Amino acid sequence: MTTLRAFTCDDLFKFNNINLDPLTETYGIPFYLQYLAHWPEYFIVAEAPGGELMGYIMGKAEGSVAREEWHGHVTALSVAPEFRRLGLAAKLMEMLEEISERKGGFFVDLFVRVSNQVAVNMYKQLGYSVYRTVIEYYSASNGEPDEDAYDMRKALSRDAERKSIIPIPHPVRPEDIE
Amino acid sequence: MAARGHVQDPNDRRLRPIYDYLDNGNNKMAIQQADKLLKKHKDLHCAKVLKAIGLQRTGKQDEAFSLAQEVATLEPTDDNSLQALTILYREMHRPELVTKLYEAAVKKVPLSEEYHSHLFMAYARVGEYKKMQQAGMALYKIVPKNPYYFWSVMSLVMQAISAQDEKLAQTMFLPLAERMVEKMVKEEKIEAEAEVQLYFMILERLGKCVEALDMVRGPLGEKLTSELRSRENKCMMMYQRLQLWPECNALSYKLLLKNPDDWQFYLSYFDSLFHLMDKSWSQPEEGEHCVEGPVQTTVAEAVKFVVDRMEEQDLKESRPLRGPYLACLELIHRLRQRGCPDEKDLGDPLELMVQFFGKFGDKPCCITDLNIYLHLLPPEQRSQFKNRLGELVPLGEAGEDGFGFPGDTKALQRHLCVCQLSRALGLQHALDTEGKLRLITELKAHYHHGLQFGKSCLKTELQFSDMYCLMAAHVYIDLWTETGDENMLWQCLGVLEEGLSFSPSNAQFKLLLLLLFCRLGAFQPVVDLYSSLDAKHVQHDTIGYLLTRYAGSLGQFAAASQSCNFSLRFFHSNQKDTSEYIIQAYKYGAFEKIPEFIAFRTRLNQSLHFAQVRTERMLLDLYTEADVTSSLEESVKAMGVCPEEDDIPWDNMRDNRDLTVLVSWDPKDRELTEEHRRLSLEEESVWLKVRSLTLRLLASLALLGHAPSPRNSDKTNENGISAKSSTLQTLLSQLDQTLETAAQITEKQTQYPFLGPPSSRLASALSSGSCHCQVSALQLSLTLRELETTGLDDSSELQTQICNTFKSLVVQLQEMLSRCKGEVLEMKDSRLKTQPSLLETLVFFVETVCVVLWVASYSANVLRPLKSSLQKKKKKKKDINTAMPVVLCGFQEWTGSLQGIVTQALDHVKGQEASLTALKLAALTLEEGHSQTQEECGFTRAAMDKVQSSYLGSLQELGDLLRKRADSLIRLKI
Repeated sequence: MTTLRAFTCDDLFKFNNINLDPLTETYGIPFYLQYLAHWPEYFIVAEAPGGELMGYIMGKAEGSVAREEWHGHVTALSVAPEFRRLGLAAKLMEMLEEISERKGGFFVDLFVRVSNQVAVNMYKQLGYSVYRTVIEYYSASNGEPDEDAYDMRKALSRDAERKSIIPIPHPVRPEDIE
Repeated sequence: MAARGHVQDPNDRRLRPIYDYLDNGNNKMAIQQADKLLKKHKDLHCAKVLKAIGLQRTGKQDEAFSLAQEVATLEPTDDNSLQALTILYREMHRPELVTKLYEAAVKKVPLSEEYHSHLFMAYARVGEYKKMQQAGMALYKIVPKNPYYFWSVMSLVMQAISAQDEKLAQTMFLPLAERMVEKMVKEEKIEAEAEVQLYFMILERLGKCVEALDMVRGPLGEKLTSELRSRENKCMMMYQRLQLWPECNALSYKLLLKNPDDWQFYLSYFDSLFHLMDKSWSQPEEGEHCVEGPVQTTVAEAVKFVVDRMEEQDLKESRPLRGPYLACLELIHRLRQRGCPDEKDLGDPLELMVQFFGKFGDKPCCITDLNIYLHLLPPEQRSQFKNRLGELVPLGEAGEDGFGFPGDTKALQRHLCVCQLSRALGLQHALDTEGKLRLITELKAHYHHGLQFGKSCLKTELQFSDMYCLMAAHVYIDLWTETGDENMLWQCLGVLEEGLSFSPSNAQFKLLLLLLFCRLGAFQPVVDLYSSLDAKHVQHDTIGYLLTRYAGSLGQFAAASQSCNFSLRFFHSNQKDTSEYIIQAYKYGAFEKIPEFIAFRTRLNQSLHFAQVRTERMLLDLYTEADVTSSLEESVKAMGVCPEEDDIPWDNMRDNRDLTVLVSWDPKDRELTEEHRRLSLEEESVWLKVRSLTLRLLASLALLGHAPSPRNSDKTNENGISAKSSTLQTLLSQLDQTLETAAQITEKQTQYPFLGPPSSRLASALSSGSCHCQVSALQLSLTLRELETTGLDDSSELQTQICNTFKSLVVQLQEMLSRCKGEVLEMKDSRLKTQPSLLETLVFFVETVCVVLWVASYSANVLRPLKSSLQKKKKKKKDINTAMPVVLCGFQEWTGSLQGIVTQALDHVKGQEASLTALKLAALTLEEGHSQTQEECGFTRAAMDKVQSSYLGSLQELGDLLRKRADSLIRLKI
């Protein structure tokens, strides 16, 4: 039981229950506005009947069509603790994939901390596979070491041969990804 | 910033090193390099601008500006100079100058698409909608690209939105925008989805819903593809506005068949159904019901629809959706509201809720879902309901303590949900003290038991049983607030600290600990707790109040200042940040986002919290610095406070605080209401008004002190002076009025839910006596001003009046100080007792001392010349027998008394520090066994230590400030 709708600026004042999670980054205002200005359709929020925000997904479309790299990207996906285990993340991912299908993307990709097993497993269940490892993609604060990311992908119907998801065996550095 | 364009251009090659230096933050080298280049190439304007950027970034704003203007007056048309100037003006926060720049450029190069488009964006940055409209059309004429045309159209819409006169919007701007789009439609030139979106926006704003509907359903609507369900959403919106209930109903029905979990469509389905029933709408005899398909018009149909949806879920193999089951409860709720007897066809709410629990009781959101419909249960069914749910929770056999425990996390979640529901039903609140203590024991036992399921949890994950711990804390708080037994509070802190040790990322533990420490008057532990929440950016506006409400009021001035700075930094970047993305929205054609971004910017600018931190930050600076490191006048000038100026949007204040950030399962009658929100905003606004008037009065006092003596001044000066004292007079009477309102508000003694907004400082400020004492002191400065004009002769009445105020101020300060007496922390009958209000009162006292001393210093400045001219006269007349004027004697006596009070206050602070240090908390015996384990006692002790050390910290800061203030007393000799 969820209302799915476009994320608006006013939601920024209400998303604390989602964003006070340690793995959910609260970005500066420009970051959110950039997504709202450029890819408003990719920024979707789920709202409970009581008005609480349950979770949101934020994404974009990018890459070159000619090189068959045009794709949907998941920038952020987060669900508040009390609304987990409902399949909400899967629903939001499904929506992002559908939008990417409509835009003629070849695949959808995302980055996830290698330590975030819960998320990695969820994405695997949703049909994503590890395309490559990005070394020290997440810079850590408070003296802990930087963390690696998995770049995970799922092919869309336009990539019928699923060429886009053939894994790259060697890890890459953040500066080597586009 | 990189030089762009032609690689061959030798100037680019010459400028390159300067760009590089600037990019690397090496501003000094950039300036040097620019100077070098300018020696050889005097006319390389861009080098000048780049030098100006370097100067600007090293704090030499004035130099930078005049250098930039040298180039700007030449009206440059080279790309490099224009871009560099744009960057510079942006960094100077002078975006309006960019418009001038490009206005000149397009005049010289009238066919440049690039410069015209820069000009449009420059206007967009400053919101010059009319000029944007023209610039857009000018662009379109040079290069007939659709986006340019629609930029112009959008600028018309913005003129409509920003027009003060709604009529002008409806009869001029919007119709013109509509005609512009229609022209393109007729010529079949519509290309992009954004253009259709904009057309829809215009029609909607014009209230032309029928036309909008036709457009969305027609061929143009086919372009609406990016957003999911874009056409359906727009149609639904129009159906609702046009009250086309058959269409609304049919569309909702259709969408629910597709996704039976989408809540918004249940609401529109029910709404439309009841509207249709009220209008006794009947199906047309022939043909289709409506364009959207079949319409449902009877309760029976709705009941069947909902029941079918539930059955569909029951039969499903995959995870069932909650929507249909909750829709059933929603329908019962609505039928009951209408007094419709058919609700029984859906079943008994109790049974339905039990069934819901059976299906979804192991989901953490079960409580949030059912909470909305608990009111469907009559009070006498509440216990029964709880027992029925209990039957559905598989627990192991009860042990010695009488508690049975769940065997896995699903059972745990079910059990937890029953606890949450019984709290929401008021069953926990109904328990007596004994019962509540037993409940706490049970919750803690479940908490500890449940930790075994989360042994492999990462630091970033929550423990499965965390919410038991939080609920135990809530029950402790119930007991504390009901009985006043502070031990409950200490144990509560203990249990939360323990919880945090197992679940270091639990934000709810941190938030509640933070709130409790604040209530205890201990701010030090709060700093770390808040920083571990990693609150950033917009969160400073929504939850920053938790920090700023208490830091200053508890005498932690350094921390207070820092907390204000966090928030201020965020607010100050807002203006610049949002303008940039308004421009982006034009570029990407996200037209509907433009008014949204502007409203967002306004919401931040009008934030209550923003106004509060702005004001508090300046007051803090004055209290801690003025007359210590620099004079009051210098401080005021450095801050740029202008007494005449009020920059707070009193009538449009936005309360952006997130007042429900702390989780609560309290029953409805104890929850935060809209009325609470309104009262809290009212109270905070009045307190803000008191503070901002105080600030402006202090600024006014500082400038008063600077004015030359009126006797030596000419007319104009005199006018200036009387203007100054009349400002002070006006502000004082405003403050008086505000204090009256304040008194009325505090009389109401509004109590907010414990987890809701903290009360403002208003009540404690009034009861401390600080406001009235400060008013008397500031009033005194006006009387002294009068004496300055009158002189010492023939002013005996005035002098007596002044002396009386001197005395009265001393009495008031004495009274305030006596209200600070008592032990902020003490051990009584082997229990720890706190009186945090003493600390708050002491802070008010110290602030008031500051104000009185500033007035005293002003008094000295007034009296000193009067005294010296009197002595000159005496010398001339050789008259040694004349008595000293009353006011001079009075002043000396006054400064003596003030000295006395400050000394007393310092002794008091020292005494408090000594008794705090002497307090050996380790000697305190905490009752182990009965209610607290040894570990918990350890955590409680740690919390006690934190409170003790925080009190000491506050006292030290207050003592330091008083000592610094005492030094300024020496300068009061006349």
